[in-house]
Amino acid sequence: MSEKEATVGAEEGIHGRPAAQLVKAAKQFSSRIELVKGGRGVNAKSVLKVTGFARKGDLVTVRAEGDDADDAVETVAKLIAEGH
Amino acid sequence: MSPPVELTGVGASEGIVVGPAHAHLEGEVEPERTRIPEGSFDEELARFRAAVEAVAGRLRKTGENLSGSLGEDEAAIFEVHAEMADDPELLEGVEGRLRGLESPESAVLAVGEEYARELAALEDEYLAARADDVRDVARQIAVELTGGGGTGLEILEALTVPSVILARNLAPSDTARIPKGMALGFVTAGGSRTSHVSIMARSMGIPAVVGVGDALEAVLDAESVALDGGEGRVVADPDPKTRAAFDLLRARGEEERAGLDEYRLVEARTRDGRRIEVAANLGSASGAEEALSWGAEGVGLFRTEFLFMEREELPTEEEQYEAYSAAARAFGTRPVILRTLDVGGDKSLPGVQQPREENPFLGWRGIRMSLDVPALFVPQLRAILRAAAHGNLKVMFPMVVDSGEFRAAKGMLEACREELEADGVPAGPVEVGVMIETPAAALGAAELAREAAFFSIGTNDLVQYTLAADRGNEKLRHLQGADHPAVLELIRMTCEAAGEAGIPVGVCGEAAGEPDMIPRLVALGVTELSMGPPSIPGAKKIVSGL
Repeated sequence: MSEKEATVGAEEGIHGRPAAQLVKAAKQFSSRIELVKGGRGVNAKSVLKVTGFARKGDLVTVRAEGDDADDAVETVAKLIAEGH
Repeated sequence: MSPPVELTGVGASEGIVVGPAHAHLEGEVEPERTRIPEGSFDEELARFRAAVEAVAGRLRKTGENLSGSLGEDEAAIFEVHAEMADDPELLEGVEGRLRGLESPESAVLAVGEEYARELAALEDEYLAARADDVRDVARQIAVELTGGGGTGLEILEALTVPSVILARNLAPSDTARIPKGMALGFVTAGGSRTSHVSIMARSMGIPAVVGVGDALEAVLDAESVALDGGEGRVVADPDPKTRAAFDLLRARGEEERAGLDEYRLVEARTRDGRRIEVAANLGSASGAEEALSWGAEGVGLFRTEFLFMEREELPTEEEQYEAYSAAARAFGTRPVILRTLDVGGDKSLPGVQQPREENPFLGWRGIRMSLDVPALFVPQLRAILRAAAHGNLKVMFPMVVDSGEFRAAKGMLEACREELEADGVPAGPVEVGVMIETPAAALGAAELAREAAFFSIGTNDLVQYTLAADRGNEKLRHLQGADHPAVLELIRMTCEAAGEAGIPVGVCGEAAGEPDMIPRLVALGVTELSMGPPSIPGAKKIVSGL
């Protein structure tokens, strides 16, 4: 299992296009990827779950399990932090 | 085939077309089948997956189409919708319900609704809009599963055959969904010449008949439709004889337009030598080339709302600067009059908390909102000033009722200019005018004329406010013309005040392009007419004969 923390960079939090792009990126990986905040985890490949999950400045943990877990965590954490 | 049915409505955009009909119905999808037989789980799951694939694929394609024609932000909406359609959690939720022998169409609506409620409960206006997105996507999948084609519930964005769109009403977001070239014409139950769908049809150059009323219900299952957007005539399932008659009319219309061609590039002058500028109303710089080809001598009304609609956040100053610069550059030395944001009423603005209002047309809109929300107004003013360095830009404020408001707005523009100068950012000169679209502004025209560089009469709103008649109300059709004596009197007063102050006065409402209004407006002293580009050659011809 691989894990990394990221602070949400997008002005409007995770939703809209940033959410779609995050989900799209997550789907490129075979690993199961979760975003965790305050003890609650959601499937990073679900735009329905990811939308509204975190606001700007929130600290989110990206957690992945699978063959490409390391890459997955890096990529998703980066997208969260950049906020486009 | 059913026998032809004829409807009459308001001819909202000229032109004649005969083509396949596409009924666009909004509202609830209620699946007939809510349960599935035991043992059909695998089969139904496969059907659901196929429907998801079809809907997601279509949404992605629409997004791609839009990124060419309407812009990246509109495209982003469809990108998000596509992700929602093939969301793994949605699939999982539906799968669970299928195991419980619920039908997939019923399941997807239920699961979609669960997620929509979750988002709506977060009490964030952006997320509330996403809740509607989820419902919309679930509905599309349900329609796909029930073979919505036969019920007329197909979604506009899936159109692959150029068709005449039949609808109770068409909102801006509906028309934005239609792939380029797929709308041959519009027929709507509601609406008037000045409602969104009419304006859209005229700028697209396709015929439209609006306000046909409840009679529309009888023709929603028509296979084909013939419509005459000049006369307001619609024939559903036309027989060969009717088709031939429409074809003949269309040929005549084309001939007549060919006769107008020579007027495209003339400078319109009355026979006694008065110069009347004939300009275009535009909603974005992408229509500039077409407007010039119709003979536009400038832009009398550049609507800036379209930049703010169908999106999730306000456009930045930079983005507005790009859009306004593009318009300025496209017209070179010809004037382009930008109207600052005019929302409220029939247009909602994501990104600004708009209170629910009993009477939005008498509410917080136009300059009232702009003056109250600097975060909205300042970036727009700065963008306009900066863009003015690239062409001949002018600006005007909507919904002004007195010179106090006008001065306040002008003051903000000047403050923005000083700020730009202090920062060393290049800005160009901008003439500042005022829209005369409230009776108060017309009555106070003499005072406004001392402070404004020009007037532009917005006849659509002026008519609505003077006659106290909602322009979308089809029962009030007889109260929607600018030829009412009270409206003409206000126009006369406005022209008189402009004449005394020596400032030009334009008309940018629908009346400016109406053949029987043009002679009256010119006689009253109007010096510029601004209209949907396809009406320009005809207007120049009329002016030349006066």
